[in-house]
Amino acid sequence: MERRYRTFFLYVEETPLLHLHPAVKLLALFTINLIAWLLEAPIPLLILLAALISSYVLLRVPLSRIRRFLLYALLVSQAVVVSYALGSRIPGRVVYAALPWGAYISDMTLLYMATMIMRFASMLVGSTLLLSAMRDVDVIYGLLSFKVPYTAAFAFNLAFRFSSLFLEDFKMIRDAMILRGAKLDEGGILQRARNYSRMGIPLTVIALRRMNELSYVLEIKGLGFKGRRTHLHEFEWSARDICAAILLLASLAVVALLRLTTSLLSFPGWPLA
Amino acid sequence: MSVRQAAITGVTAGLCLPLALFAIILVPIPGLPAASGFWIPAGFYFAMTLWFGVWGALGGHIATVLAMGYFSGYTLQIWLDGGLGDLIAPLVAYAIFKAVGARPDLKRRRDWVTWLIAVPVASLVCGLWVHTVNLMFGVITWPFWWVGVVTYLVGDSLAIFTVGTPLLKALTDYVKQSPMYVWRE
Repeated sequence: MERRYRTFFLYVEETPLLHLHPAVKLLALFTINLIAWLLEAPIPLLILLAALISSYVLLRVPLSRIRRFLLYALLVSQAVVVSYALGSRIPGRVVYAALPWGAYISDMTLLYMATMIMRFASMLVGSTLLLSAMRDVDVIYGLLSFKVPYTAAFAFNLAFRFSSLFLEDFKMIRDAMILRGAKLDEGGILQRARNYSRMGIPLTVIALRRMNELSYVLEIKGLGFKGRRTHLHEFEWSARDICAAILLLASLAVVALLRLTTSLLSFPGWPLA
Repeated sequence: MSVRQAAITGVTAGLCLPLALFAIILVPIPGLPAASGFWIPAGFYFAMTLWFGVWGALGGHIATVLAMGYFSGYTLQIWLDGGLGDLIAPLVAYAIFKAVGARPDLKRRRDWVTWLIAVPVASLVCGLWVHTVNLMFGVITWPFWWVGVVTYLVGDSLAIFTVGTPLLKALTDYVKQSPMYVWRE
């Protein structure tokens, strides 16, 4: 049974990924996405996608995590299909349909569509896998590990904290306006959006007051104080973290090198070229 | 980054994040569930950027990345696409205001004209960015690129004018009392 803890991110406690150093988690997130972006060949992308899906089982992350994004994946796939079917000219051995404005659908068009869908799916599956082991504290300490200034990482953390406060303010202002006779849910979608946007002024006043108060509080607490800081959590680099980081960087370097110097990873790539 | 700048970024992001989630739910675009036809937070972070500079834009960027990722996965494409696009757009408007010496209180004719020009220009730059990124990731083809750019320009400008204009008109004088306001005479 998947146990969930409500921070901004919902993470799975059972996965060994959770114990990785925050910097490795962020590095993995970027590396997997970059590798998927660099790959343009269908078979290597298929291998990457299969490896990522298998990792869910190996790393004890429920595959149901991806279910939430299935509709989105389907809609992006539809966008890819429509866009390439109506607007591309990719030469192939067989042309299935030629359109009056010069675009045509060949066997290679279909293969390229599938490749682009697999590229997108690899990014989505890889990112969701890593997000299953990401807590907001990992994002903050991960950013610090990459030498992002503490105040900048702290600002990111404030976004998580303040979003729930503003959600409460939003509900409070909405209820107050409804009690005074405002009809926020009347009209079409755009009219409703305009009605809701009238809540902007009270919400912004609250935000501006909060901004002033927060800056004074942070000054008093010595956030801007120069010098070495201590932190609530200490994340040590283990041998496993170092190996994982080296492996990730080496994989990215190899893929980038192969993509730039050979045609193995360019469309149609190995073994179809 | 100073403490005040961190407060601007954090509070702007905190304000825009629920609004972004709300915009996606309230006015979805069929076919693009992580996008909205009326991007409510844009009006807010445009105003915050014109009042407080780059730190307001950074807050909008953080909110957009978190909100879009919530519905569409935290992928590199989402970050480069809408995330960076929504950082660039308010900065373009801010740069135009700086360049022509206009002020965000929209009291003078020059301020109004600048606002009316800066918003579509910023939305156009953002639309160009977003759909060029989509093109680079292979999600769309060239013939669909300009369709995306035009719809982005119209939708984003509409939201910024509707939400941002009353904020700037009603609250700039109030914001001037803040030590963080960037337009000192």
